[in-house]
Amino acid sequence: MRGWQLEPRRDVQPGVLLVVPVLSVLAALVVGAVFLSAIGLAPVAVYREILRVSYTTGYGIADTLVAASALILTGLAAGIAFRFKLYNIGGEGQLYVGAIAAAGAALWLGEGASPALAIAVVIVAGAAGGMIWVAIPALARAYLNTSEIITSLLLNYVALSLLQYLIFGANTPWRDPNSPTFPRGAPIPAEAVFPRWATTRVHLGLVVAVVAAVLIAVVISRTRWGFHWRIFGDSPEAARYAGISSRQVIVVVLLLSGALAGLAGAGEVAGRAGRLDPNGLVLNLGYNGIIVAALARYNPLAVIPVGVLLGGILNAGPALQSLPGQNVPVAISTTLTGAILIFALAGELFVRYRPTRRPDAPPSDGDPVSVGTGDEGGRA
Amino acid sequence: MNDSVLVLTLAGAVITGTPIALAALGALLNERAGILNLGIEGIMLVGAVTAFLGTQATGQPLLGLVAGALAGATLASLHGFLSITMRANQIVSGLALVIFGTGVAIFLGQPVEGQALVPGARLGRTAIPLLEGLPAVGRILFQQDLVVYGSWLLVIAAAFYLTRTRTGLALRAVGESPATADAAGIRVAMVRYTHVALGGALAGLGGAYITTRGAPWDQAATTGGRGWIAIALVVFASWRPLRALAGAYLFGIALRVNFALQAADVRIVPPQFLTMLPYLLTIAVLIVLSATDTRRRLGSPAALGVPYVRDER
Repeated sequence: MRGWQLEPRRDVQPGVLLVVPVLSVLAALVVGAVFLSAIGLAPVAVYREILRVSYTTGYGIADTLVAASALILTGLAAGIAFRFKLYNIGGEGQLYVGAIAAAGAALWLGEGASPALAIAVVIVAGAAGGMIWVAIPALARAYLNTSEIITSLLLNYVALSLLQYLIFGANTPWRDPNSPTFPRGAPIPAEAVFPRWATTRVHLGLVVAVVAAVLIAVVISRTRWGFHWRIFGDSPEAARYAGISSRQVIVVVLLLSGALAGLAGAGEVAGRAGRLDPNGLVLNLGYNGIIVAALARYNPLAVIPVGVLLGGILNAGPALQSLPGQNVPVAISTTLTGAILIFALAGELFVRYRPTRRPDAPPSDGDPVSVGTGDEGGRA
Repeated sequence: MNDSVLVLTLAGAVITGTPIALAALGALLNERAGILNLGIEGIMLVGAVTAFLGTQATGQPLLGLVAGALAGATLASLHGFLSITMRANQIVSGLALVIFGTGVAIFLGQPVEGQALVPGARLGRTAIPLLEGLPAVGRILFQQDLVVYGSWLLVIAAAFYLTRTRTGLALRAVGESPATADAAGIRVAMVRYTHVALGGALAGLGGAYITTRGAPWDQAATTGGRGWIAIALVVFASWRPLRALAGAYLFGIALRVNFALQAADVRIVPPQFLTMLPYLLTIAVLIVLSATDTRRRLGSPAALGVPYVRDER
């Protein structure tokens, strides 16, 4: 980039904030088109189908919102951690364990409880399950300075095995006793099932997700805790000098992050499937939460629209598969979402810096670029 | 003796450990240059599927391996572009690579999902004359294939390169203090790009080895988190190639014993719990390493994960 230099922006421009994700999605669609063309499909026709199955029909929108309920929560889970440079990438596993705990609590409570109590128990159990699963990475990071990145990620595989054990491995209380040949989750009591909106499959989980997003936004921007977190996120040293306990921030933020992912798991059980359903958790809601969070630039409120957008794309993969006469690979969804994230990351440079023509004489008031060493806190 | 369970398990452990060793060596070279690449798992998947398709198309497993390594280097270069030129968050960029790589791999591998290469097209064994006749050791180490031997040469070459060559020292300077390296006339971005691509090629080769050895292509099981174990192994190996190889073989043994127990259908422990063990073991090792506080002395590159922006003159 000879003749150009990057000048850090003082304030983030709202226009740029909107342009970058939109261009990222468009660029990703172009990449997807290359792949689709390579296997002999017409990209425009496929994209029109995606619009149809996910965004423009009533049924499609409802399914998109169901996926979005989980994605908003996993997006918040990743967002709240990443924003303060705590890299919990175990959302997938925390979601599974949240689902296991929610289903377990509902089955344990049994029939006859009041619906309000049953639903409250399910929600609390889901959040607690997610917290338990993030506790080891959180405590190891806070007290031993073990990088939470790999520990949280590896626990995803452990959670997956646990889930498979509970349904396929043995006669556990989670397994449906009425279906011995085709192992599946036992249906939870009707009292614990989330209410649905009219005749659609949109359930209480969407309300939970939106309320959680607003609460998180308020906590971050308006409370003392949020203030401490922001100082810690900007500079752990500054936080230390200000007398803020880093350990407390690390543990609280990561537990909250795990609880949000666990809530998504509760929604999958009590809202979508009505049982613990390992085969239904194929959308990689936990991993995709990281994409939602990054596209939303870790802003809790922006997570809501991004979650809806991504919910549609993710839903489209399986939806296109189930259509007769179509041969669109399911992987189109993963490829598209991955590409969106890659372009959004590249575009992030233009959110943080403004390309300007290099002046002939060096600027007198210091080096504009030397300030911008980035906000990354990589550890290994 | 050569066919005792122990010898066969250890010989198998070498095969299982080799892709992890190659991927760990790749991650190590990235990190020595100051670039944290969490995308190894995605790179391995793309390498595995590319090698499968390349071998199937040409009938030559060696060409398949080359294709896998090239695909790995290409995908890794994307991470290089994001983290070096675009100064993106390396952690998120690496995750993006995993997601994108998984998508691309499933996409490309859809026609052959669940299949393995026909036995004739697989990478065969090449015994080393004389050494293969050694009792036990011959069967474990010297009746392997070209990639296993190649991985030893690569590890030794990397160890020599890092400590004994001028470019290797330049690489370490870039990973420890890019500003100093820059002032000394080392082209920081160039060094980083080269090693990110090289590391990607090694991880891609690791993935490629799995399918060319005859494992079936299955998006969920072919690599099965080995890319992540490889990243953890770099810490365990304190950023040193020979230790990474030793660590990879230890994991190979753990995984093999695991497979053997699962195959033996021991009723005491359900197979799902055996599957958890390698991951739990990795977590335990990482926690113990940091608890014993050896990590600071182990030598994590100082500039790991930090983008370098040169002060404009």
